[in-house]
Amino acid sequence: MTDNSVQRRTQPHPSPTRRTIVGAGLGAAAAELLSGCGSPVATGLFGLAPPSDKLTYWNLFSGGDGANMAKMEKVYERSHPSIDLSATTLSWGTPYYTKLALATAGGAPPDVGIVHLSRLDTFVEAGLLTPFPADELTAFGMPATNFTPRAAQKATVDGQLHAIPLDTHPFVMYYNIPVCRKAGLLDADDNLKPIHGPAELTAALLAAKKVTGHYGGVVAVIGDPATNLRYFSTLYYQAGGTYIADAGQKITIDNDKAAQVLTFMRNLTKSGLMPATINDAGVLSLFSTGKAGFLFDGEWDIPTYRATPLNGKFNVVPIPHIFGPKPVAYADSHSFVIPRNSAMDKNRRAMVLTFIKTMLENSLIWAGGGHVPAWTPVRDSAAFKALKPQANYVAAAETAMYDPPAWYSGAGSDFENIIGAAVANSQSGVSSASSAVGQMWSGLRPYADAKAPVG
Amino acid sequence: MATTVIDDGLPVAVPDSGSPLRTQRSGENRAGWLLSAPFIVFYLIFLIGPALYGILMSFFNTTSVKSGLGAAVGLANYREVLTSSAFWGSMGHTLWFTVLTTPPLVILAFVFAILAERIRRGRALVRFIFFAPFVMPVTSVTMIFGWLFTAQIGLFPKWLSDIGISPPNFLGTTGWSFITVALLTVWWTVGFNFVLFLAGLQEIPTEVYEAAAIDGSTPRKTMWSITMPLLRPTIVLVTMLQILASLQIFNQMYLMTGGGPGTSTRPVMEFIYDYGFSDYRAGYAAAATMVYFVIVLVVSLVWFVLRRQTRKTVGA
Amino acid sequence: MTTNAPANALDYNARSRAFKIFSAIVLAIFAIIWIIPLVFALDTSLKPEGEIAAHPTSWWSSHFSFHAYTEVVKGTPIMTWYLNSLIIAVLTVIITLVVCSMIGFALAQTRFSGRITVFGFVLAGLLIPGSILVLPLYQIVHEMHLLNTYWAMALPAVSAPVAVFIFESFFSGLPRELIEAARIDGASWFGIYWRVCLPLCRPAMAAVAIFTFVGSWNNFLWPLLCMSNVDQMTIPVGMATVAGGFGILYAQVMATAVLGALPLFVVFLLFQRHIVQGIAGTGIK
Repeated sequence: MTDNSVQRRTQPHPSPTRRTIVGAGLGAAAAELLSGCGSPVATGLFGLAPPSDKLTYWNLFSGGDGANMAKMEKVYERSHPSIDLSATTLSWGTPYYTKLALATAGGAPPDVGIVHLSRLDTFVEAGLLTPFPADELTAFGMPATNFTPRAAQKATVDGQLHAIPLDTHPFVMYYNIPVCRKAGLLDADDNLKPIHGPAELTAALLAAKKVTGHYGGVVAVIGDPATNLRYFSTLYYQAGGTYIADAGQKITIDNDKAAQVLTFMRNLTKSGLMPATINDAGVLSLFSTGKAGFLFDGEWDIPTYRATPLNGKFNVVPIPHIFGPKPVAYADSHSFVIPRNSAMDKNRRAMVLTFIKTMLENSLIWAGGGHVPAWTPVRDSAAFKALKPQANYVAAAETAMYDPPAWYSGAGSDFENIIGAAVANSQSGVSSASSAVGQMWSGLRPYADAKAPVG
Repeated sequence: MATTVIDDGLPVAVPDSGSPLRTQRSGENRAGWLLSAPFIVFYLIFLIGPALYGILMSFFNTTSVKSGLGAAVGLANYREVLTSSAFWGSMGHTLWFTVLTTPPLVILAFVFAILAERIRRGRALVRFIFFAPFVMPVTSVTMIFGWLFTAQIGLFPKWLSDIGISPPNFLGTTGWSFITVALLTVWWTVGFNFVLFLAGLQEIPTEVYEAAAIDGSTPRKTMWSITMPLLRPTIVLVTMLQILASLQIFNQMYLMTGGGPGTSTRPVMEFIYDYGFSDYRAGYAAAATMVYFVIVLVVSLVWFVLRRQTRKTVGA
Repeated sequence: MTTNAPANALDYNARSRAFKIFSAIVLAIFAIIWIIPLVFALDTSLKPEGEIAAHPTSWWSSHFSFHAYTEVVKGTPIMTWYLNSLIIAVLTVIITLVVCSMIGFALAQTRFSGRITVFGFVLAGLLIPGSILVLPLYQIVHEMHLLNTYWAMALPAVSAPVAVFIFESFFSGLPRELIEAARIDGASWFGIYWRVCLPLCRPAMAAVAIFTFVGSWNNFLWPLLCMSNVDQMTIPVGMATVAGGFGILYAQVMATAVLGALPLFVVFLLFQRHIVQGIAGTGIK
């Protein structure tokens, strides 16, 4: 191919420029082609495995998390200069998981990837991941006892650890310190006085509303099904409710409990204590400008609010214990997984495990994004205990409830969209509580009835 | 080179020339098959193969992340597809997109071609400008339009505000999402139809116009009595190609709206993508594929019949 | 193509002059509308991020620079994607040209038994909306263990009945005497195809080559599925998949868009006539 184009360039020809340009392009391609076995081109042409000193890592972190992850990668690169770390950030949610699954099934997965624990069961059932035997973890200094028990338990499928948890990120409650102080909701140390039960939460929101003159609290309703799901799930799980069982084949929604929780939530928006139709941008604007005293949101938005004038004037605690016998937090966890890969030999696996260990050891950086580290040596360290407000909600990681396992469930899934959309309809008053529960049933029904693709 | 026309009448076999040429004939026979063989192999594996394998998969609970067909499920996949409101909803979105894009893409391209035919200079430049977007990768197009349509700070919302219209939420509501993607599609692909129309106009012999002009025909009359009838095959061609292309919408929609808000703009191809790949339900999505395939195939057949008829009436 | 007479023919009529001016004005307006998105994308890509945040819709900047481009080239594997796209497109073009011209020649110039069947068979392929069949195609390519190789992209693209018919109609136009003369000289059928006929069909080759190249380069859904490894991605898929850390850095997003479009713009500028004729030629599809 190259010979031809070079030869032709020396011949007189009606349109030499054209040929020169195309020829040069091909020449460059050919040069690159010859330059490396183990290069992308060699993989593309002959399906060869990537070079042994290259470590590919896929994640779905952008924004503040992305920046923190990049810092941790830098630390790894500095301590392992001989390894070429190729980290790639892919679009969050379902596109990421589709890509990871297809790449693994297609025989070209990354060496290590991030998976939400709520998505883990499906990946394991599909045979896409390799387990971490206990002796291997011990050999690399990562015994299961060194992780938050709840996260380690969730990462265990079929009796074996299939993911190494990096964090737990619960859905939490933010409060505006000056507003709550004025409302008399804080103690002498500016900490929120404990709130128990529906009446106390309503009273606290009412007190905050009197101070702000706008709203007591705020949570996204429009255009954000995941937040609706998290908010509702926190209270619904507290009340002892469940969604599905048998890996998603059976719907187990408790109509009375769901309606009770939805009605309580709707009363807050109906009475004007919280806005009934508001999107993410509106939430950001209301809470950051002090027009709402409380915010229900994920702890990962802490960096977002630190970038507003509210910086230093808010605090974050677990969602109060409103229903049921014991406090429960809705959460998910990021975790490291090693996708099934025929090109993964012992040395490469050791390289990956060392990488994961390095990430865990540096997860104090990660905690800066609001997350509770799953690696207990960091979580129990003095440095993390001094990290506020993160240290406030460590307990939430211990009482974490995840999305139920099913092939259609987990972070960014159809399950989250269906439940979240029904909750949003109730929150904005489009549907009554009982018809929103009906929407949950009818939304999940086709999935529960369908023959599961895995498992 | 002019528009290539395929003879729809099948080629006539040359009568056997008798025994003296037998060895030569068998050589020709072998050569014909050998030269055809590579394409036939590709064709069987990559075009007929998927069609047949799709039918097969649709009767199984095939999983896209595992090898093999999985368990047989009979007609369950079809039953589920045909009763799925999500599937028919996505079919409706695809049809709505086709309805939104086909008229502007045919009419604008036609008008541009007629006008371009009138101007003496700058025709190559005009052709370049209208056709250039067509060679862009879809991702570049959606990135640029995503920026132009961005609420508050995009160029289009700002223009609308400047002339006193409060800009709609271009990608936030179902109705506007369709329109936004349709606008982008018109901008991106009108050049293709434009070039087809230009080629069609070139085919009309100059003498026909000269004769009309000498007869004192007005431009409008020339248009209706000469250009339109002679251009009919091209109009049918462009319209049908456009309908077939719009019916297969995926790329722009996937990149601009992701089928959202919710799944309210999700086209069929994305339904298949979501269920077949994101949910691993390859067998089920294969059933959806086959239903969709048959619908598009029927439209193709209608075009095929229409084309034959047009050819006959025009005598081309 | 552009210098033909019809425009002049219309001059026979006096009223057509006014219409001509009207045509020019309308076309000019639309042409401006059509280039605005491109120009604004280019403009944004050359502005500093800070200025975009402050004046997002302003056209002017006092600090135009290629900074965003260098950031994109440094921060994403875009050069690898270019290379992947280029190699895939070139492989596809070469195989398509060889395979489709061979059968095109066979259908046009040899009278083999079963030719009519093959002709009808390939003709039927024109009706098959192949792009709908990505799901079963994915399963087949998966079973062939070709995923994440260039062949997953190049091989399926070869089954293009349109290309076959472009070649078929071109070879049909060659005089039968030419082939018979070569036969008498003792040339083999392959020799006739390769040495006599193929060199004569440069226009058909150019048309097929160019639309195959453009089609391959701009294909989106198929490479989205079959090239899932970041290092194996093509330009349109890589740009859409890898967030690259530039969340709301508009200059970098626009620089990426411009970089993605650039190679084919260059190809288009160089081969404009061929491309336009090639598209007109696909009218048979």
